Amino acid sequence: MHASQSMTKTILTLKKAPHVPLEAEVISPDVFSTLTHDAVCGLTVFLGKRQLRLDEFFDVEGPGSENIEIHGDAARVKWIGKTMTRGSIKVHGNAGMHLGAYMKGGSIEVTGNASDWVGGEMKGGFIRVAGDAGGLLGAAYRGSVTGMSGGTILIGGIAGTELGMRMKRGTIVIGGAVRDFAGLQMKGGTIVLMSGAELRTGAWMARGTIISLKPIKLMPTFGQACTYVPTFLQMYARHLNTLGFSLPCDLKNGFYQRFTGDSSVPGKGEILVWQPASSSRGS
Amino acid sequence: MGGKVSCTLGEVKNRADLIIYWGGNPAECHPRHFTKYTIMQKGKYVPNGRKDRTMVLVDIRETPSAKAADIFLQVRPTKDFEVITLLRAMIKDQPVDEAAVAETGLSLEQLRDLVARMKACKFGVFFFGMGLSMTRGKHMNSAALLTLAAEMNAFTKFVAMPMRGHGNVTGGDVILRYTTGYPFGISLSRGYPRFNPGEFSTIDLLIRGDCDAALILGADPGATMPQPAIEHLKRIPTIVLDPKVTHTSRLARVHITTAATGISAGGTVYRMDEIPLPLRPPLKGPYPTDEEVIRRIREAVAKKADWMPGMNGVVAAA
Repeated sequence: MHASQSMTKTILTLKKAPHVPLEAEVISPDVFSTLTHDAVCGLTVFLGKRQLRLDEFFDVEGPGSENIEIHGDAARVKWIGKTMTRGSIKVHGNAGMHLGAYMKGGSIEVTGNASDWVGGEMKGGFIRVAGDAGGLLGAAYRGSVTGMSGGTILIGGIAGTELGMRMKRGTIVIGGAVRDFAGLQMKGGTIVLMSGAELRTGAWMARGTIISLKPIKLMPTFGQACTYVPTFLQMYARHLNTLGFSLPCDLKNGFYQRFTGDSSVPGKGEILVWQPASSSRGS
Repeated sequence: MGGKVSCTLGEVKNRADLIIYWGGNPAECHPRHFTKYTIMQKGKYVPNGRKDRTMVLVDIRETPSAKAADIFLQVRPTKDFEVITLLRAMIKDQPVDEAAVAETGLSLEQLRDLVARMKACKFGVFFFGMGLSMTRGKHMNSAALLTLAAEMNAFTKFVAMPMRGHGNVTGGDVILRYTTGYPFGISLSRGYPRFNPGEFSTIDLLIRGDCDAALILGADPGATMPQPAIEHLKRIPTIVLDPKVTHTSRLARVHITTAATGISAGGTVYRMDEIPLPLRPPLKGPYPTDEEVIRRIREAVAKKADWMPGMNGVVAAA
């Protein structure tokens, strides 16, 4: 999952936050890896329609490498790590829209918040955001049929609407509460909601799994199937434990209610809602 | 799934025998709509006019339009998406839970009756208003109704059409669509059109403060947009083209008075079913038309050097 630890590092420090969004899809290990320091400085970024040099906005330290560090509030810097296949990006601060969109491999870490479209249509790789994320996380772009089809997105804080829209494979874990339409039109993959969601979770889902550790309001087109602790969850729990999220899967502590839907599709998706033992049946 | 299942109002007039209004109040907001295009007209395949048609109104409160309706269905606020999704399940004979249906404010019996009517009709049409498209769920509420209309075509002819608001908004959509391929929320900053509502749509751009100039044409966002968006319009150079002084003009740096389209300026207006209609101005006015002002701005900009430092070109489309 993590890239080979080569010693070279490219450090970008934002000189001043741009006053309109800066589109910087060149900030990617695949672009940087073979370039010299001067070549990295001369890469093209777009401020509105103006094509400018990367070093007009960032102080660049070190030669191009597969390990990129970004310092400063990059909340207006869009498309960081677009289509990256290897290496790592670490953002010390906030990141703008489309972080890691279409990425295939490597890892991205953000210490602050990210914006909308984190990991949009990603195919593989690893994204971790310590703070909050916006909407449409791992989602399909407008007019596209399939959202994320692999990889992992971990968000420590809250997230916005339509997360995992049309996702096909991969894992999304959200520490905080999420807003409406989580897992909208989902076709596969797993979404874990550690703090529940607002309305319409799993609307129009065809397949896939949504796990919520808090009670959530379900669409009327979902039906209750059974209560149990699925065996596969133990494997998930072990894996997520290594990433810092603990998933309860011991019958002594409670069980999962399984709901299936969305019957409007009609779909075979599942929503598992954790019921702690104390709040339901005495044990 | 893509594409819009729509038709012209002429087809509605001549064919529709089931007309469903969802989240709209045409009796007050589109006063000539009933009599000119829909329920009151006699049509080729509905020779008895009103008697041959069934009108259903779905809304959260009983508006004056309910008097015109044969069936009024009162849903609880913010339950439209749930009701439409239930209808999508029921037309496919999927089992639904009666208690879950009751939470929407409607009974299972009412929904069964509606589904039966929808499947039995020869030509059904949904008209939806801002009660659907501007409440919680927003574009997904509209998407739900458009999907339901598309899926109903497995049984009978069914279309959906939005009841458009003030001004020539349909025209704006149509022109952008045939010039760029997308109806709204378009960025041309990279030299080719990119479509991403939420990222490039006007309100979102303004709320985030992502644009540093705005040209407002035929709209009054100062009266309708959320406060943070208005605050940003005050901060940046805003230029307004309008026949009258609007709320937006008062907060703009520049207001250019233009001729009123349809009164002192000609042109083409698009009806809500996307039919272009020519306008013949009855009066002559002292002011230039919007088109003339834009053309002259464009000519002046073209004469300048490529672009000036400090003028970055993210423009919010009004």
